[in-house]
Amino acid sequence: MAESGSGAADKSVQVKLVLLGEAAVGKSSIVLRFVSNEFQANKEPTIGAAFLTQKCRLEDRVLRYEIWDTAGQERFHSLAPMYYRNAQAAVVVYDVTKASSLEKAKSWVKELQRQANPNIVIALAGNKLDLVQPSSSSSGATSMPESEDEADDATATPGEAAAPGEQPESLRQVPRDEAEAYAKEAGLLFFETSAKTGEGVVEIFTEIAKKIPIEHILASSRGTGRPGAAGRSGAAQEGGVSLEENGAKGKDACNC
Amino acid sequence: MSTISTQLRTFKEPTKEQLTQLFFSIPPSITARSEKDGLERMEINAVLSLSAEAEEDSYAGKLYLIPPFLSFASLDRKSCRFTLPLCTIRRVERLNARAGIYALSLSLWHGMKIVVQLTSLRPTADLFCSMLRDALKAELQHGQMKAVRNFVKTCYSETLVLSTSPAAEEELEEKTPQEGQEGSPSNDTPYHVGLGLKFKFPGDPKKLREASKVKLWTTYLKTHGRNLTLLRYPQCTRLVQVGLPNRLRGEMWEVLSGSLFLRFSNPGLYEQILEDNKGRTSTSTEDIEKDLHRSLPEYSAYQSEEGISALRRVLQAYSFQNPELGYCQAMNILAAALLIYMSEEQAFWLLEVICDRLLPGYYSTSMHGTLLDQRVFESLVQKCLPIIHDYFQEVDVQLSVASLPWFLSLFINSMPMVFACRIIDCFFCMGPKVLFQVGLAILKINGEELLKIQDDGGFIQLMRSYFASLGNSAHPKSPDPRARAITRFQELLLVSFREFAIITDDTIHNERRKFRSEIVFSIESFSKRAAVRNLKSLERFTKEQAGFIYDALYRAMCVVPPPAPVMTPVPSLISDGNEEKPETRIGLRTFRVFLSEVATWARDEKVIINGFQQRVDREVAEHEFIDRLFYFWDVSCKGALSFQDLVSGLDGVMFNDLMENIEWFFNLHDKNKDGYLTKDEVLTLSESLLFIFRFEIGDAYLGAVSRFMTNAFEYGDALLPQPEEKGEEDDAPLPDIGHNQPYLNLATFRMVVLADEILESFFETDLSACFKLEPVPMMDLPSSNNGFLGDLISNIATDDNKKLFNRFTDRIGQTIGKHQVIHRPAIGRYTKLDEPKARESLLTPSMRQSPSTSPTSATDAAVRVPSPSSVSTSNLSAAEASKISPLSMVKNANDALMERPQFAIDDALDDDGDTDDEFGLGEDDGVMDEVDAFLEAHDSGLTEEQRELAKDLLNAKPVK
Ligand SMILES: Nc1nc2c(ncn2[C@@H]2O[C@H](COP(=O)(O)OP(=O)(O)OP(=O)(O)O)[C@@H](O)[C@H]2O)c(=O)[nH]1
Ligand SMILES: [Mg+2]
Repeated sequence: MAESGSGAADKSVQVKLVLLGEAAVGKSSIVLRFVSNEFQANKEPTIGAAFLTQKCRLEDRVLRYEIWDTAGQERFHSLAPMYYRNAQAAVVVYDVTKASSLEKAKSWVKELQRQANPNIVIALAGNKLDLVQPSSSSSGATSMPESEDEADDATATPGEAAAPGEQPESLRQVPRDEAEAYAKEAGLLFFETSAKTGEGVVEIFTEIAKKIPIEHILASSRGTGRPGAAGRSGAAQEGGVSLEENGAKGKDACNC
Repeated sequence: MSTISTQLRTFKEPTKEQLTQLFFSIPPSITARSEKDGLERMEINAVLSLSAEAEEDSYAGKLYLIPPFLSFASLDRKSCRFTLPLCTIRRVERLNARAGIYALSLSLWHGMKIVVQLTSLRPTADLFCSMLRDALKAELQHGQMKAVRNFVKTCYSETLVLSTSPAAEEELEEKTPQEGQEGSPSNDTPYHVGLGLKFKFPGDPKKLREASKVKLWTTYLKTHGRNLTLLRYPQCTRLVQVGLPNRLRGEMWEVLSGSLFLRFSNPGLYEQILEDNKGRTSTSTEDIEKDLHRSLPEYSAYQSEEGISALRRVLQAYSFQNPELGYCQAMNILAAALLIYMSEEQAFWLLEVICDRLLPGYYSTSMHGTLLDQRVFESLVQKCLPIIHDYFQEVDVQLSVASLPWFLSLFINSMPMVFACRIIDCFFCMGPKVLFQVGLAILKINGEELLKIQDDGGFIQLMRSYFASLGNSAHPKSPDPRARAITRFQELLLVSFREFAIITDDTIHNERRKFRSEIVFSIESFSKRAAVRNLKSLERFTKEQAGFIYDALYRAMCVVPPPAPVMTPVPSLISDGNEEKPETRIGLRTFRVFLSEVATWARDEKVIINGFQQRVDREVAEHEFIDRLFYFWDVSCKGALSFQDLVSGLDGVMFNDLMENIEWFFNLHDKNKDGYLTKDEVLTLSESLLFIFRFEIGDAYLGAVSRFMTNAFEYGDALLPQPEEKGEEDDAPLPDIGHNQPYLNLATFRMVVLADEILESFFETDLSACFKLEPVPMMDLPSSNNGFLGDLISNIATDDNKKLFNRFTDRIGQTIGKHQVIHRPAIGRYTKLDEPKARESLLTPSMRQSPSTSPTSATDAAVRVPSPSSVSTSNLSAAEASKISPLSMVKNANDALMERPQFAIDDALDDDGDTDDEFGLGEDDGVMDEVDAFLEAHDSGLTEEQRELAKDLLNAKPVK
């Protein structure tokens, strides 16, 4: 496991992580929660991708996450390879109140497993858990300083259209069991989260940190400068937006 | 990818005429009307000068009549230009000046006079004048002249200049206001305004020096026209470069981009679109809804219902108007920014111009325009900033991780609003090249820092901190207070327009052309892989085969595009998720084309020999059998087939053995799936067989079908089904069975088929083998004649021309008795056995390699045959060259003969000196003093003598 990495203990390791998922499921919100422990009711849609970094301490080791938060709309799909190339980890997000978003998540997983870095660690996150939890809206977030602006975000989120009196669980469209079973079958880490309350967000990143083969990253970054850089420079030369996911590698990995 | 777009393949390079029209921002939809009226275009050399107070130099250039517009561009194409709707011209007079001078004075509706001296030879000038007269007349007939007066009231500029322009005032007063102008001018102003008027414009008006900007513009608009009649002299560009005043910004955006013309010529359409589509939902409206509260949320208007609903209406109207594009994230941010400065109707039309002309393909479902321009940008970086480019390669940094959002959201997403708006000002004024110039300047200014970054992340962070510092001084340590006052943003514009002036429209155009096919290819292979990957089931196909099915589907969609996917209302909250996704589904007509790509009998192939060439004309077959197949494969009863349906459908027939094929064919014709064919269905089935066999040579197949029918009815009668066994209550056992009653079951059918050798072999192999997952061979066979006509055809490689050519050679062939047409058989198995003689005499060996029997695969044939007659789709430039119509050729020749030498054109147009004296515009406030007021020196290319003449003309009297 990661902890056994010997000499790496004192060194901070860079981990490239990409977030994927349907539009408005809350990818940017999850990142914002993780990076600055904030929540914004009206987060602008991501254009192309956003980039943030955050350190994460794991026992005796410090990981520096380089997070690429991508745009969710279907038509941005063809840009995604630009962002997930060389990624060591991916968080595929869906919205627990929207069944179709899980379908989209599955297709992302499929794509990652075929065309991304073969050792990539993938986590599946069902977000907006607060919307299906009976207590969360009334009891308020656990010590979140931003709780004041949460009042007006009811209009912001499509899933929140339900009247206040309604049973929240009825908003749920993706049963936990179903998603969890899928995650298990596909070999993914699984979480249900709420960027709004913060529930489950940090866990995603710490669990990923545990699973990342750190020695491997260290070894390769010592060797060639950057993970994967040597092997992929050919693809990069192809130009700006390389749609051929991984250049030569992509071709034999996926013979379509 | 669930939707497949065909725009990429169908792209055509614009013609020279279209490029001119693009240059002048004239919407094609408007000129189409005049074309219908039979009004022609013409261009002529001219010198433009302005009457009245204007003191500008005169400009030599070209005058273009593009009905219903009159346009002018100076020789350098940037110093001076205008695009005037003809309906704004009230009077045209020929001026009485020195002999041999041909000059026209144009009076515009608000009294401004323009003088154009036509410098081509007399007959050309005469022709131009008479065409101008016709075009003006047509406008008058359309009542456009009247429309002007009402329309200009919606423009803020009129109000701005009105107080001091008596002529215009009279004009406006003359007409009492009639029915309120459509659109949404707010209640207290006649003109259109944006949200900014109520919710405040971003930025500090003092700091932006709004008052003096307004003053400068008022002066300019008075002397140089405004809204529909704006003349763009160098000062106009300079004023734009120092930033438009907030109140005028919206209108200037629509004037500079040309979207004003769309609004002018489509009164009320915006409201109409909203009205017509009330309550309609689509995937786009759903996506829009998600993003409404996520568009410039920090701006106060978008925290109110007023702002949100304006944004909703504009985006929805656009998505209804252009359903293929629909809605793309980033458009919300763009529209939100526009709405601060302009009304909904104005924003709607501007959005149209942006998506359609300025940033073509940026927001389309494939986003090919975005990808293309990123590639172009990268190539420009390589050319202009090779060190940075090489370094990025070295450390494996992708330029577009940072630059893509710049282009996609016009910097609104990247830098503070006040600065982004100024770039947008320049973008509308000078065109899309501005984005590239600014992009290059950003990299250049940050060059040193960029050479230190290690990865994509570092790049993004550097850019982010640079954008955050744009308001700071560019030279904070400079002892000169003037230098210290220059902000980093001013420095950015300065570098953009001074150092990257070499980037012109042509540069962008050429680069785009260079990389287009590369981008198209990568998008296509990407979406193909995605589509194949997203199949629920590959069935028994390999990925390559599924890829081929995709290709065939794609080609079919290029021929008959399917309707844009419209989301059906979600039936229940708990849908399984698949129903909601827009998915490309094809209708029957597209399906026929698709099938003709994969099944030999679904196309009519005629081998034509006319003595000059041999070719295959291919047409899509139409038959009830094909329609039947369509509904047979439509398992979800949607009336349309998805990619998956096609894959599964083909799987159902392509891997069958004899027995399975017989059963498949039986089921295909057993409409109610009761396990029995009715008598009618037996007949239909026979017709299907006849259809498949229609081109087989000899009558062996005909005989087989006829034997089949005899046997079917014989056995059928003998083995009449026992209704009791079937357990169907409503079937009374009838001795004489009705046409619609169960008649023949599978077992009997099988027996009948197996009784016939030909049918047996058909079901054993041929039926499945008729489906071919390989490219259909090229339309042309190797030409037997490489002489004169062979050369000719290689020169006329466009499809249209080829058709003409083919018809031409056919006619010759017919007259010399060498024209022959042979239908190519779908199976072609028995032909050799039955009638070897007949075939030998008709077909050359090369033609006998029909796709179904040929051992050389079709791919080989297509690659191998570099026949001069093969259609080369990539050979566009040759195609262009050959498109010259005889008429225009004659005209060109005439022009060449008649035109006298042009004015001596000063080639050194781009001299970069003497810009300093351009700054002081006599305004003490110092607005124009800003360093970024920089503009290339303009040189009209006139001699001293010509300048004199132009001045003379301004005072000349009209010819009586
Ligand atoms: N109630 C609730 N709302 C959330 C949560 N996470 C995000 N949202 C809201 O959902 C909307 C979309 O969130 P984003 O984080 O921008 O979504 P995204 O996935 O980044 O969207 P794109 O950038 O368009 O792909 C915003 O209005 C958020 O406020 C959550 O956990 N609970
Ligand atoms: Mg986002």
